[in-house]
Amino acid sequence: MTNLTTKPTRRSLLQLAGGVAAGAVAAPYLTGTARAATQITVADPGGPFGPAFRKAFYDPFEKATGNKVVNVAREAEPTAQFKAMVETKSYTWDVCTLTLSARDILKAQGLLDPIGFAHADVPKLMPQAISPEFMGTDVYSTIFAYRTDKVKNAPASWTDFFNVEKFPGRRSMRKNPIDSLEQALLADGVPLDKLYPLDIDRAFKVLDKIKPHIAVWWTGGAQSTQLLQSGEVDMTTGWNARLQAAIDGGAPAKIIWNQGLYSIEGWGLPKGGPKADVARQFIRFCSDPKAQAVFTEALAYGPTNLDAYQTIPAERAKLLPTSPENLKQMAIANEDWWSANRAKVTERFNAWLLT
Amino acid sequence: MSAVSIGRAPARTNRLRPNALWLAVPGLIFLAVFFVWPVAQLLGLSVVDPDNGAFSASSYQRIAATDVYLRVLGITFRIAGWTAFWSLLVGYPLAYWLARLPDLFRGRMLLFVMVPFWTSYLVKTFAWMLILGRSGVINSLLTGAHVVDQPLSLINNQFGVMVGMVHAMVPLAVMTMLPVMTGIDRRLVQAAQTLGAAPARAFWLVYFKLSLPGVAAAGLLVFISSLGFFIVPAFLGGRQETMLAQLIITQVQELLNWSFAGALSAMMLLAALVSCVIYDRLFGLSTIAGGSAQVGTGRIRDLGLAILSAVAALAARLGAVAQALLGKRLCALLLPGFCWLVIAFLVLPTLLVIPLAFTSSQFLEFPPPGYGLSWFRTYFESPLWIQATIRSFAVAFVTAFAATAIGGFAALALANSRTRWAGLIFAFFLAPMIVPRIVIAVGLFYLFARLGLIATDLGLVIGHTVLAIPFTLVTIAAVLKTYDQRLDQAAATLGANRVRTLTGVTIPLVKGGLVAAFLFAFITSFDELTIAIFVSGGIKTTLPKQMWDDMILQLNPTLAAVSVVVFIVVTAMLLVAERFRSSSRLD
Repeated sequence: MTNLTTKPTRRSLLQLAGGVAAGAVAAPYLTGTARAATQITVADPGGPFGPAFRKAFYDPFEKATGNKVVNVAREAEPTAQFKAMVETKSYTWDVCTLTLSARDILKAQGLLDPIGFAHADVPKLMPQAISPEFMGTDVYSTIFAYRTDKVKNAPASWTDFFNVEKFPGRRSMRKNPIDSLEQALLADGVPLDKLYPLDIDRAFKVLDKIKPHIAVWWTGGAQSTQLLQSGEVDMTTGWNARLQAAIDGGAPAKIIWNQGLYSIEGWGLPKGGPKADVARQFIRFCSDPKAQAVFTEALAYGPTNLDAYQTIPAERAKLLPTSPENLKQMAIANEDWWSANRAKVTERFNAWLLT
Repeated sequence: MSAVSIGRAPARTNRLRPNALWLAVPGLIFLAVFFVWPVAQLLGLSVVDPDNGAFSASSYQRIAATDVYLRVLGITFRIAGWTAFWSLLVGYPLAYWLARLPDLFRGRMLLFVMVPFWTSYLVKTFAWMLILGRSGVINSLLTGAHVVDQPLSLINNQFGVMVGMVHAMVPLAVMTMLPVMTGIDRRLVQAAQTLGAAPARAFWLVYFKLSLPGVAAAGLLVFISSLGFFIVPAFLGGRQETMLAQLIITQVQELLNWSFAGALSAMMLLAALVSCVIYDRLFGLSTIAGGSAQVGTGRIRDLGLAILSAVAALAARLGAVAQALLGKRLCALLLPGFCWLVIAFLVLPTLLVIPLAFTSSQFLEFPPPGYGLSWFRTYFESPLWIQATIRSFAVAFVTAFAATAIGGFAALALANSRTRWAGLIFAFFLAPMIVPRIVIAVGLFYLFARLGLIATDLGLVIGHTVLAIPFTLVTIAAVLKTYDQRLDQAAATLGANRVRTLTGVTIPLVKGGLVAAFLFAFITSFDELTIAIFVSGGIKTTLPKQMWDDMILQLNPTLAAVSVVVFIVVTAMLLVAERFRSSSRLD
């Protein structure tokens, strides 16, 4: 640990933590103590994330430390690029957002560096949001939404989503076994806290019944927004912020949080990166509840530091996965199970789709 | 590089002709370094155990253990095959009609045919969703007019995939066939008729037969490039339209199992090579590659002629029936009518994009709820978008020059040599089309990292040139096939050296093919995403990369605005080029 962070960095980290705790008033003061400016390149998910993270994290970090943050958009699945970058030591990114599954895959191949702080340093962070190589910044949730103008009998659970007689309507699901298997099991009555290890055979039996009724198998987040917004389908599974985008755009639709599965996105460091010190400082900065509250103004993702809800208006909190009301209806998707079984189950799911 | 090899090639005597192969050397070296080497490294991973680095066939055993990969391979080939079939069926009459138009008018019409080229395929696909969707344009019209009660299922099935893919591929098919068709001496058809052949017979046995190299080239290009498609099937297809490229990408990007991805790529490469061989046997690929060397003999040729005669007889009868039913004047309108319909099909999605660009909505919805310029403002005020646009144009230009030169010399080499290696060399040059782009992209990343070419424009140009070479080679080879080699000989007899023959005789005569090749290379680069993702690292971003970043999470009408701007710029450029070309014409 000691040789990972040089002394001045540690000092400035502590000062930074102090500054953050003292609130925005202290920020200008810190600028004076910052070392020579370093420019780091951070890869965020792009699209609406760019401006939202700029306002919440990048600009305040620049102001607080004097360093520069250049943000680029990463791929939906940046693992391949990440691996290639580390193995060839051509670090085009200094920090990159990862999903939990990407974190596990990269960690297994030894491609991540430690972030240099632990849960004890930021106790209000959700415990699942921090590990030695990862700090979560935002929580997204896989749920479903229905068109209130088309579906008169309001569905309220996965059991309802899978019941085509009682809740008629065109449906769409993700062309991926992840989440789909869980949804099938939940529909079949498996309790949310007893999902894992997944009963694969039982899940496919339930999916067999719904298969003829799925009009569209979506593959990208933007597609699920479009499906709901245009009325191509009446009910669709999806990520909360993507379906919220359709609702914000005026689509008459409602999100069902009940039995949702959430997961976390956050920062990871490419192994051996040359600017790891500043990058670590940046990651630590992003745990700040006030900063996290700022991105929720533009993005319907949940902050991982639950103290952020002290400054988030109640109206907005309703739409976020980690607000107490929503969080208690959901459970976190189990990445360990998926890491161990994903290849095998994906193969079976692909074969199942073709028949 | 090329000049050196030209100088080295001793002309005049036929005996030394195999030396024309020197012209292919720059291309061979280029592909060996920037394609074979990186791809071979990645494919090599397929026989290595990822855990201990020892030799292992486990990836191949895994493919063999289930039938899912073979079935997906079958689906991939079926979709690519049908796409090629429909693109030729729709494209041939259009190319035939265009070939008969006066030069100036043809140039104008070609602009329409090429419209789909200039609309990013990401945007085109979403446009089709808006047209064919359940509450889309067509269904709204049909249900509004009470033609049908329930909306038709036009997407998320094989029909949707075909519409999207054929739409993307018809321009490629037409542009490949057209230079061959305009090179056909129409007096031959007249001669056949003078000698007593019925019009249908004269067409099928003379004109059609002479146009076959173009048809074969177009079919092959469309088929092979369709093999790598995955975005169109993913968005417009149903659960059964899964392409192998998608599974490979999942392995590379999501599961990070490069050994298995290598095995899947090797399987796809092998299957594509086998289909190239079969295609060669059936339709004579080597006739494109080997110039006029092979006239074609034996049973297959006889069979071909017999089929053409039968088709001619059938066509004659159909024509007679049509004339009896519709009358002569209506019949004469059939071809132009059909062609205008095809052109309407080609420009429809782009026309739809124009109102979308002026929408006041946050979404790509049709019809727009209101109009405004906000999305153009977003575009013009964003340095990121503007830089990406400029970079895309610049990279595409350089790529087009490089690929046309390399592909052109290779085509010339193949047309002028009678070596039995020609077929093999030809197949080698086509290989970048067959290998999934993600495999090339990852392979290139490792190579470029060592050469310091990551996040450079040069890296993008090299990567795109690798992808564009097959298109330029096939297009130019098809034109050279119909090119009369004796003209070169005549020039040589009259004392012209090799370079002068090339610049004074060959190039002006195959100009149509060169222009088409240049455009293919340009658009290959301009619309390329996968290599841009890896090589740019998100820093030197290109237009498709920038669009992709925007659409992964949230699709907004900036994409439509960008498409409209690109479309206007390109059309203006083409019009200027056309003006320049027609005014500088000698004849």
